Amino acid sequence: MRSPEAADVRRAPLAPLLVKELWGVVTGRALWTMLLILCPIVGYSFAQAVSLYGEASAAAKDAPVLATGLSPLDGVLVPTFGAFYVTVTLLFPFVAIRALGREKESGTLRLLVQLPYRVPTLIAAKLAAVAGAWLIAIVPALSALALWAAFGGHLHAAETLNLLLGHLLYGLLIAAIALFAAAIAESAATAAIIALAVTIGSWVLDFALTGQPGLFEWIARLSLTQALRPFEQGLFSVGVVIATLAAIAGFAALAAVWLHPGVPLREKLVRSLLVAIAAAAVVLAATQVRTAIDVAEDRRNSFPAADDRAVKELREPLVITVHLAPEDPRYADLRRNVLGKLERAMAHVTIRLASSGQTMVASTSDPSYGEVEYVYGGRSDRSRSTSHREILPLLYGLAGIPPPAPEPGGDYPGYPLIAKAQAALPWFLGMLPILIILAWWWSCRPPRIPMRLVEEGGKT
Amino acid sequence: MAIAVARSPLVERSPVLMQVAALTKRYRDQAALAGVSFEVRAGEVLGLIGPNGSGKTTLLEAVAGVLPADAGDVLWRDAPLPVGRRRDVVFYLPDGLRPWDDQFVPRVLAFFAAVYGRSEEELADTVRAVGLSPVLGKRVLALSKGYGRRLMLALALLTPHPVLLLDEPFDGFDLKQTREVMTLLRRVAANGRTLVLAIHQLADAERVCDRFILLAGGAVRGVGTLAELRAAAKLGTAGLEEVFLALT
Repeated sequence: MRSPEAADVRRAPLAPLLVKELWGVVTGRALWTMLLILCPIVGYSFAQAVSLYGEASAAAKDAPVLATGLSPLDGVLVPTFGAFYVTVTLLFPFVAIRALGREKESGTLRLLVQLPYRVPTLIAAKLAAVAGAWLIAIVPALSALALWAAFGGHLHAAETLNLLLGHLLYGLLIAAIALFAAAIAESAATAAIIALAVTIGSWVLDFALTGQPGLFEWIARLSLTQALRPFEQGLFSVGVVIATLAAIAGFAALAAVWLHPGVPLREKLVRSLLVAIAAAAVVLAATQVRTAIDVAEDRRNSFPAADDRAVKELREPLVITVHLAPEDPRYADLRRNVLGKLERAMAHVTIRLASSGQTMVASTSDPSYGEVEYVYGGRSDRSRSTSHREILPLLYGLAGIPPPAPEPGGDYPGYPLIAKAQAALPWFLGMLPILIILAWWWSCRPPRIPMRLVEEGGKT
Repeated sequence: MAIAVARSPLVERSPVLMQVAALTKRYRDQAALAGVSFEVRAGEVLGLIGPNGSGKTTLLEAVAGVLPADAGDVLWRDAPLPVGRRRDVVFYLPDGLRPWDDQFVPRVLAFFAAVYGRSEEELADTVRAVGLSPVLGKRVLALSKGYGRRLMLALALLTPHPVLLLDEPFDGFDLKQTREVMTLLRRVAANGRTLVLAIHQLADAERVCDRFILLAGGAVRGVGTLAELRAAAKLGTAGLEEVFLALT
């Protein structure tokens, strides 16, 4: 036995902590149960998506123009990963809570906080281990992508990776919320209730308040699902990435604040307030960042290339006043087809809702309801159109420049494919679950015991 | 195997390592610790003696910094030791804990050994010292109470801290095992580590400890060697049990 010495918190190696956390997650039932549940859910969604995509592709055979509307991102990837998203929302909190809740419930936390690691390091290691668990959990969804490619389906690298990034950020956000819940709750069961209240409550916000006017619209934006939406649309939004990372860091920091049992309650509350203010400030600032990259192969988030370049040349401020209620479907169309694209392409765009706070029913008595006013360079014009094909010529007119000539050859071809979706089911309902059970069994095996331990320990 | 447990006669002259000053902890209206003060000397085995509910565990946790105290200080070599730095010099082993109970014993041992930079040889020494070899193939949750206690002891021995706070270290052991562990702890103290043991079995405490702190109702009722406590209680040759009853 060595002579006593002070433990140095700055010299403790990270690797043992990470390995311990990974073993903690991998040897738990929660992850493997989630994986086994994911197999049929992802498999069924994938088979359904491929089947429906095949039906649409069959129609496109007779009418080739329909093929341009067939995007694997919308038709296969998003529905398949949608099943993964639902499972992550409902089951991944249990995986993350286990990473901390078990130590807290058993009292092992009192040993953990005495180890030569700073508390944020402990939480970061747990978050890293849970991220590792997410990488294992996404295997069924990734196998669906592999099957799609094997069927001859098209995958566009940028939009696929962007979708995966969105799901990774969403999974980390769920994990950070769950870790925070585990840190503040006395038991894993209570932590699960708190985490699910946030995730399912977020769904309620999404379903009930989206499209509602005024304050409701702002509250609906707090839904966790909103973090995923741009990625599903093939958009890499820098603001959304920063805001999501800030939220993840905020919840992880809150978990670190509440982890140590030796810190008085009042101190925890003060630190929590500071963390919440800092995280909220970053999230708020991130919502102002408009930089976004359209990674969708069909460029659905951008104007045609020639128009995009022409619009970028419009340097003066553009003020748009919309006489539509936020819940009006025309506003959603206008936002998707014109306003969002203008915001991403132009440096100075201001959009005002003339009827902000009013409902659609109350606003429709206004004779100007439905009009959109565009003011640029001291000149203005009005339109009721929600299509860029009419709005862009109007803007070119206001700017006094000729419309650009369309560039041939840049059209999205579409990727129709008729595949036998049922062929995927044996994989998702048979082979993959068997592989998962084998991996589970492997994780439960006792570790190799060094001979020195057995021999020298056995002498006693 | 009968093992004699020898105490160090030099402890009374050892320098003071740590001082606990007026430590207070309240749970609503109940005082769990009422201004507890004492000092810990280098290399001694200090017994924290008291019945169940006397505040032993609360005191150890507050000293270790895993439970917030309402008032009071801990000094290390006469300098204040803030809560955040307690883990640099003190390691606390809670009572009845099965750490990472779903993991295999070697994995838990290897984790502690890796964290504190212990070699495989040192780990083997520790396994031998506490007699953990027969259960190396088991999960922590499958260990008997005694082996669970040995595992905890092994973890404490793998740490480098100068002071170990052990809560009920003999709980779960039979008489022979208790004596073996006492011998081990004396050897640990002889190697320069300081031990503070919370014990409710007075006979065990009398055998292994150099000095005693008598705790009752969250307050210190006596501090000193058995001889000093006997003198304070005016009981000539009485055992620790009689002295404790007389002073509390």
